[in-house]
Parts: sequence; structure tokens; C-alpha cells
Amino acid sequence: MPSLTLLGQAVVSGLLAGGIYGLLALGLSLSWGLLRLVNLAHFALALLGAYLTYQLGTSLHAPAWLAVLAIVPAFFVLGMGFHAVFAYFRVTEFASLLVTFGVAVIIESVIQWFWTADYRRYETAYATASLRVGPLFVPTLELLACLTAAVLALATWAWLRFSYVGKALRASAEDPAMAAAFGVNHRRQAFLLSGVSAAYAGIAGAFIALISTLAPAQIWAWLGVVFAVVIIGGLANPIGALLAGLLIGVSESLTMAVVTPAWAPLVSFSVLIVILIARPDRV
Amino acid sequence: MSTPGRRAAVGLLVAALGFAALAVVGLPAFYESFLYMIFSWIALATSWSFLSGYAGYFSFGHGAFFGAGMYTTATLTTVLGLPFLATLPIAGALAAALGAGIGAVVFRVKRLRGELFGLLTLAVGFVLATIVLNTRIDGGPGVYLSSVPLPRLLASPTGTLYLLGLALAVATVGAAYAISHSRLGLGLYAIHDDEDVAEGKGVPTFAYKLLAFALSAGVAGVAGGIHAMYVSYVTVGETFSITVPLYVVLMSVLGGARHWLGPAVGATLIASSLYAFTGGQQALVGRAVVALALIVVILLLPDGVVPTMLARWRRWRPRRLDMAPVLAVPPALAAPPAALACEEVWRAFGGIQALRGVSLRVEPGEIVGLVGPNGSGKTTLINVVSGYYTADRGRVTLGPDTLSARPAHEIAALGIARTYQIPRPFAHFSALEDVALAATFGPARPTPRQARAEAYGWLEFTGLARRATALPHELNLHERKFLELARALAGRPRVILLDEVLSGLNPGEIASAIRLIQQIRAQGVAVLFVEHLMRAVLELCDRVVVLNEGEVIAAGSPRDAMRAERVVEVYLGKARVVA
Amino acid sequence: MSLLEVRQLAVAYGDAAAVWDATLQVRPGEVVAVIGPNGAGKSTLVNTIAGLQRSRGGELRFGGVDLCAVAPHLVCRQGIALVPEGRRLFTRMSVEENLEMGAYRGEARRSRAATLERVYELFPILRERRRQLAGSLSGGQQQMVAIGRALMARPKLLLLDEPSLGLAPAVVDQMFEIIRAINGEGVAILLVEQNVVRALEIAARAYVLEEGRTVADGPPAILRQQSRIREAYLGLRDGGDPNP
Repeated sequence: MPSLTLLGQAVVSGLLAGGIYGLLALGLSLSWGLLRLVNLAHFALALLGAYLTYQLGTSLHAPAWLAVLAIVPAFFVLGMGFHAVFAYFRVTEFASLLVTFGVAVIIESVIQWFWTADYRRYETAYATASLRVGPLFVPTLELLACLTAAVLALATWAWLRFSYVGKALRASAEDPAMAAAFGVNHRRQAFLLSGVSAAYAGIAGAFIALISTLAPAQIWAWLGVVFAVVIIGGLANPIGALLAGLLIGVSESLTMAVVTPAWAPLVSFSVLIVILIARPDRV
Repeated sequence: MSTPGRRAAVGLLVAALGFAALAVVGLPAFYESFLYMIFSWIALATSWSFLSGYAGYFSFGHGAFFGAGMYTTATLTTVLGLPFLATLPIAGALAAALGAGIGAVVFRVKRLRGELFGLLTLAVGFVLATIVLNTRIDGGPGVYLSSVPLPRLLASPTGTLYLLGLALAVATVGAAYAISHSRLGLGLYAIHDDEDVAEGKGVPTFAYKLLAFALSAGVAGVAGGIHAMYVSYVTVGETFSITVPLYVVLMSVLGGARHWLGPAVGATLIASSLYAFTGGQQALVGRAVVALALIVVILLLPDGVVPTMLARWRRWRPRRLDMAPVLAVPPALAAPPAALACEEVWRAFGGIQALRGVSLRVEPGEIVGLVGPNGSGKTTLINVVSGYYTADRGRVTLGPDTLSARPAHEIAALGIARTYQIPRPFAHFSALEDVALAATFGPARPTPRQARAEAYGWLEFTGLARRATALPHELNLHERKFLELARALAGRPRVILLDEVLSGLNPGEIASAIRLIQQIRAQGVAVLFVEHLMRAVLELCDRVVVLNEGEVIAAGSPRDAMRAERVVEVYLGKARVVA
Repeated sequence: MSLLEVRQLAVAYGDAAAVWDATLQVRPGEVVAVIGPNGAGKSTLVNTIAGLQRSRGGELRFGGVDLCAVAPHLVCRQGIALVPEGRRLFTRMSVEENLEMGAYRGEARRSRAATLERVYELFPILRERRRQLAGSLSGGQQQMVAIGRALMARPKLLLLDEPSLGLAPAVVDQMFEIIRAINGEGVAILLVEQNVVRALEIAARAYVLEEGRTVADGPPAILRQQSRIREAYLGLRDGGDPNP
């Protein structure tokens, strides 16, 4: 049995990793829950965002916050562009899975074309900085990512909960015809939401660039975990996505600490399978 | 079996022999391994389509079965020292058992279709990979098979693998042909279009899906077993990568997942174009091009290349109806006649009590009208009788047989047929095929030829014979309503449940529908007739049962029942009770 | 000058015609009932007026504007609000959010606070339940939310589709009181109702719809005398008093 400090450290790093999961899950959860589009390309976009941050930082020496300022609007437009295609071809929920799968593979190839399959590491002066809380270490960047995830989740929740646009999106997701009967123009809001979702992928990407080592195949490593997070959290539920991310993150890192690191993926995938079988109505 | 189909089968056989002869003559090793890869992809893509193409349950877990096969062969040859060829059937059986095991759990959950089934199978692959990686099966470093002896079927090792691949590909495509022309295939196609209706027409959907999943997984297992020998070094990372599920889906969708030859054509196209882009950056371009092809195909040719080409061909050279001497009179119904009885049937949804102890009886040759306002429970009762819902309490019997608690396909086979208020024809079935499906899974168990002849008879009976080759989207509402009737009759029912067959029809069509229903009754069939159009109810029904809020509030001759005070109140409303 | 003018309207789902030939008009401030048996096309008619369904033929004018040329989400701007059959609330949103959705369009949104207050006065129970999910209310309360949501749009014409369906008799009484009160404020009402007796009590005029066609119209006193209604609903062809 590992020591208490080790377990405590595992919980901390689990929470921090969970923040990234929550951040990735946020956009996916919104587009699935409110637009009925299952967007596998979301992971690819996040990784593209990470590589762009890396590139801007290493070749142009642009600080990460500047990269985010450039990436977020660009991705917003990109997300709207994707949606234009989906809307034009009236892509169904199921077809969206296949089409975005294709998009993800193309983005993966593009990444590999420019940056090769080699591991890339964005070295910054602050990459290894960490806070010390009692016997535990809290890496600053990961903490920042986690806090960003929390802020975005809360902001998104408030947006959906209190703004007229958010209410209209929720209403349209449940009954588009009735929402339209009260004046909601669903098309316009779907574009907005797709842009927001892609922009979130960009933000997640910037943190991923700063925190982890980059490789093109990373896209697929997130797939199961983040889908588990989305489904556990409940579709279109930002707070749920964040909490589910933290839960999965902690359970993974505890598995790593108690058993071995290699067993960790089993946790999230098993949870996903159990939820799908026991509560398919959640989706 | 249609002639073009037979021609294709002969062509397949000739091609197989040709490829086999090539190998015996001897090919350069490069071509042998190039063709082996294509054969392997053909087997994988074609087997994937058994469940995912025909029945529409898209699986992203095909890689898991492929991987299971690889590791079975790797383990058995290296640890137990079994001969390579002997491990192949074991690899297949194990993968099939895995598929059946997953299916046995998953297919019990009704909502796990479409994208949820896809996600679930994807997750299963990752779980399997994690288990293999962390147990003695692999343990991390991978398994080497280089010292495992390869039986010398041909001079070179690549030649041997080439032959094995060829044999598997031909066997799989042959199996695809056989399945798609069998009862099983017909049932799977129907499941794809509308699973609930298929079950209601007598297709044992659960068993069929399970069988298709097991067959599909089994072939992938054998392909994995062969491939383990081909790569001779098995690692978790390579084996369970996203490549197999991705390419298999791509190939099938590109070629046409519902056609027996579609996945093979897609596999050939994609595998060769991947080979064209080999090495470094080119491979990347190849993958991106394949992904782009997937997107374009999904958006523009959702049916796939082969079916789209066939449709073009048929439009250019219209197919003549290949028909046995047509029966002038529809086959006899209702043998032996039996009465339908509901006794105290209850059914609730959440807190809403939809049926509160409904009892009614329909004798052979009788038409009983079931009327009542919207939401009074009429369609719920039909759903309970036909087995789509189970009753919470009470009993439904047909003659001596108890129906409650049986699955819907058994109830259909006992002789209960229904129509749907909004017609639900199978989207990819012609009118004739649709009716033939109901005949095939009906109690008479006819041969395919008999089923088609019988179906044609029913189309004539309902006046649809000249629309026999039309697809549902080419039929208008009145034709679709009559198609519902024709396929209900093709199940040779002893009891027929008609759910608002007249709604949406114009007066002339209503008159002809009424005549048809009278003819059906004349054959001794018991008819339960749900209808809002009261003049038709009065004209047709011997008795009427009036439902309100799940309760029978009146029953008897149409005139008496409709005059009962409660009924008038329910229909016209009650004056305000002055407090 | 009539507020709503429907002339020879035809509506179809795919090729299934639901309404063939419907003609009716509603004058400002008037209560008009549409009655007829199930499947006659009543709901299709009001849904088309509200923009949920597109018409296939005929004329549909509201305050002189051709509604057929107005995009679905802009129909409500003209001053039409729908209380649909089965209520169709946004069940995963709170009562107050549902009401706010009613005031989504420009002008209504500006006067939202005042209208909300008015709706809460009309339905005090909704003020108590305003934080609750709409899907968790009882049938009668849900109907109140549906009516309140429509009122939030400050309509000139309120379309009510089967407001008494599935409600307990006492609640039905209350519902008709409320309809009368709303009309008292000058809102015209087009009422589709299966409870013929009650509908004819409240309406100034009524239309009988049968198999997608308007087959009779007139003031209730005259329609009550006709056996046409009884025939359409119960299939009985004899005379006698249709009023129980």
C-alpha cells in the first residue's frame, strides 16, 4: 500500500489531469447535447491548437497567451465553417461521427506532415514551476489549466442558464419547432455554438502544448476518456463535464498509484461501458 | 436467386481460381504480400458488414476481434507450441465467442443503437488492449513468432500466407453472398431499416444480431490469426490501433456496406491506394486522401459505390420482374381460425396508467371496432397484443395460446399481424420484398420463390401489383397504407390489428379499403379495427368497444355503444357542473 | 376587417394531406372555436397558422400580412402565439425560463418583466413553482405554463389547441375561466377543443372541420341545432338533441 503522501499526490495530479479532461469534454458536450453532432474532430482540433501554440512559441517566440489570442478567433471561424458543411448536407447524428472521424484523420495527417511523428516538447521557463502545499507538489501550469477549465465551465453554465441565447439553445435542443414558434432562429445559434466549441478546443490545445509532450497519435488517446467524461457528466452540462473530468482523472491517477500506470485506461473505458449499458437514456 | 447474382458468384469463383493459379505459378514476393494485404482487408471489411452493414449496427470494435485472433495465435503457437494452422479455428472461435458475449449483453439494451453502439464497441477495443498489455498475454514487450514453423503450402512463406489470405477472402465473400440471399440476411436488412417492425413481422432480431456479430467477429479472429504470422511480431500498440476499425468502416461505407460485394470493392480500392502511397510523407498523404474520400462518400454517396453504380445500371436497363406464375387468388388465410381475447390488461408508463384492466374478445370472422378519444389507449392495446409492450397485469390469448410474455416475433408467427398508423415500410425494400419478408417469417415458412409469389398475390389483392418494384419513397400515402395491409396479410394472420388504416385517405380510397377489410373478414380472420372515422366504424364493425383513459366505457353494437351517455360525454364534452 | 383570414388552406405531410380546404376568419378580440372529430386536421390547421407547418395551397393572412411568405421563426413577431396540443413545454427548463422563452422576440422581451408579473397574477401557482423544472409539474400546471408562455409573447391572437385535454374536470373549469379572462383583455382566441359543449359555451362563432375541410360554421346556437356535429363525432345519423 502506497503512503498517504503518495496517495495525496495522486489525488492532486488526478484533479489536475481531470481539469484538462473537463476542458476537452466541454466543447464536445455542447455540440453533442445541443446540436446533436458527435464531433470526433474536436480532439484533433485541440491537438492542432497545441501544435500551433508550440510553433508560435518556438519559431516566433510568441508567448502562449498571445498564441491563444490568435488561435481562439481562428478556431471560432473554423468551427463555424465546419458547421456550414454539416448544415448544408443536413448531416445526421450518426453520419456526423463518420464525417468528423475523417476530419480527425486529415488533421492528424496534416500535423504529422508539418511536425512529423516525433515527440515535441514546448520548453518554457515556467514549465516546471510548482507550488508546494505541505508535502504535496502542485504544478503551476496544470493548476492554471484546471482553473481555466473551472472558469470556462462556470461561464458556459451561466451563459446557457441566464442568457437569452443560452436559453434558446436549450429550448431548440428539446423542441426546435416550438422554439422557432417563439422566434428562435436556430440556424444562427448553431453557428455560434459550433464556433464556441471549436474555440474551447483551441484553449485546451494551448494548455496541452505547455503541459505535455506532443505526438500526432495523441488524438486517439483522449477519445475514450473524454467520451466517458462527456457521458458521465451529462450532455450539454458544463459543470457535469468538469466534475466528471475530475472524477475520472482522480480514479485514473489512483489506479496508477495503487496498481500500475498501464491499467489506468481501463478505468475510464469500463465506466463508459457500464454507463452505456446501464443508463443509455442519459445520452 | 436472381441471374445477375449467380453470374457474380461464378465470377467470384473464377477470380479465386485465377489468383490461386497465379500463386502456384509463382509471383514476385512483393506482389504476393501486396495481394495478401488486400485479401486480408477484404475479409475484414466484408465480415464487418455482416452485422454493421446489413443490420446497421456500426461497430468500431472490429479491431478488438482481429486483435483477439492475433494474440490467440501468437500465444498458442509460442507458449503451447500448437501448429500454426490448428490455431486458426481456435482464434476464430474465441473471437466469435467474444462477439457473442458482448452482443448478449448489449443487444438487450434497446437504446444502444447507432452512435452509442459505435462508442461502446470502440471502448471494448481499448479495454481489451489494456488487459492484453497488462497480463501475461503480452506483458508489454510484444510477442515474437519468428521461430514458429510455417507450413509449406507453397514454395515461399509469402506464397503460403497469400493462399491462406485468398482462401479466407473468398470464403468470407462467399459467406456474405450466402447470408445476403438467405433468411438471415433478409432479417438483418429488415433490422437495419426498422428493428421494431422487423421483430413484429416475425424476425427473431436478438438471435439474428447475435449470430451476425459472432460470424463477423469469428472471421476477424481468423484474419488476425493469419496476420499474426504475417507480421511475426505482435504488439498491442500496432494490433489494437485505430487503423483496423477506421479502415474497415471506410472500406465498407465506400464500397457499399449493405451489398455483399461492396466491402470487398471498397477494400480493394482503399488498400491499393494506400499501397500506392508508401513510405514516409506519402503514406500520410494516402491516409488523408482516404479520410477525405470517406467524407465525400458519406456526404454525396451515402449508399456506397457498388449500390450507386447498380442503381445507375438498373435505371439504364430496367429490371424485369422475375416472377413465378402469378397466383390469381391470394393464399388462404386463417387456418385454423382462433379468437383473440384480452383479459384485464393493465399497462402503465411512468406514472401514467395507459390501460386499466381492458378486456375484450374478437371472434374469427368478426370485426370489432376499438374507438375512443386521443390518448385513450387504443394504440397501446395494439402494442401490447402484438408484443411490442408487455402487459403489467392481465392476459392476452389467441385460441389456446397465451401471448403475454412472449417476444413479438413469436406472437407474429402464431398469427397476429398489425398495421401501423403511420406506415413504416422498410426504407430499402421494394414493395414486393417488403411483403415477401412478412411471408418468409410468417407461420407457413415458404421458400424464397414461394414467398415472392405469395407476396405478389397480396400485392394484387391490395391493388399494388404494378408498384411491386417501387421503393417506399416512390409510393404515395395511399399506396403505403395498402402496403401495410398487404404485408400484414402476408404473415397469414388469424387476427389482424388495423391501426387507423383510413386516416389521410380520400373518400374513394376509403371505399376501396373498406371493401378489402370486408374480404379479409370473409376469410375467417378476426379483425380489431381502430379508427376515428365513425362512418367507417358503423359500416364495418359488428361490435364496438369504446375506450377512455385506458378503460372500457361501453361495448356492444355500434349504434348502442355510441349512444351510451358516457360515450356522448367523452366525445362531445360535459356541460359544466354548477357548484 | 378580420385579424386572421384563412382561405382554402391545404397542408400535407409529405404526400399525406391533412387539411384539404379550410376556410375561416377571426376578428380582433373574438373567440372562435374549431371543432371536429379526431383526425379532422384541427391541429394541423393551427400549427400551420403558427408557422410550425408550411401550407401547400390557399391563403393565410394575418393583419393583412401574407403568413406564407414569413419565415417560421418570424411568424410570432406578427402577434400570433400558440399553445400547442400536448403543451410541448421545454421540460428540462424551469417554469420561469419557459415563460421567458415566450418573450423571446424583440418587443415582448423589452416588456418582459411587466408581462411576467401579469402572468403570475393570472396563475399564482406558477410564481411559487417558478424555479421548478417544467416537466415536473402536474398536467394542469403544465397547461398554465403553456398558456403563460404564449401570453408572454403579447399576442394579438392566441391559438389554443386542446387546452382541456387530459385535465381533471375542476381544472377544465378553471382553464375556461382563464381563457375568458384573457379574451377580456382584448386578445383574440382561436380555440381547438374536443369538448364541444364547453367550446360552444365560450365561442362567439365556431367552425366544424371534418376530414380536412370546413363543413359548417356559424354561431353556437345555430350549430347546436345541427345534427352535423353529432354525426361527425359519433357517426350517428339520426336527429335528436345533441346536447346531453
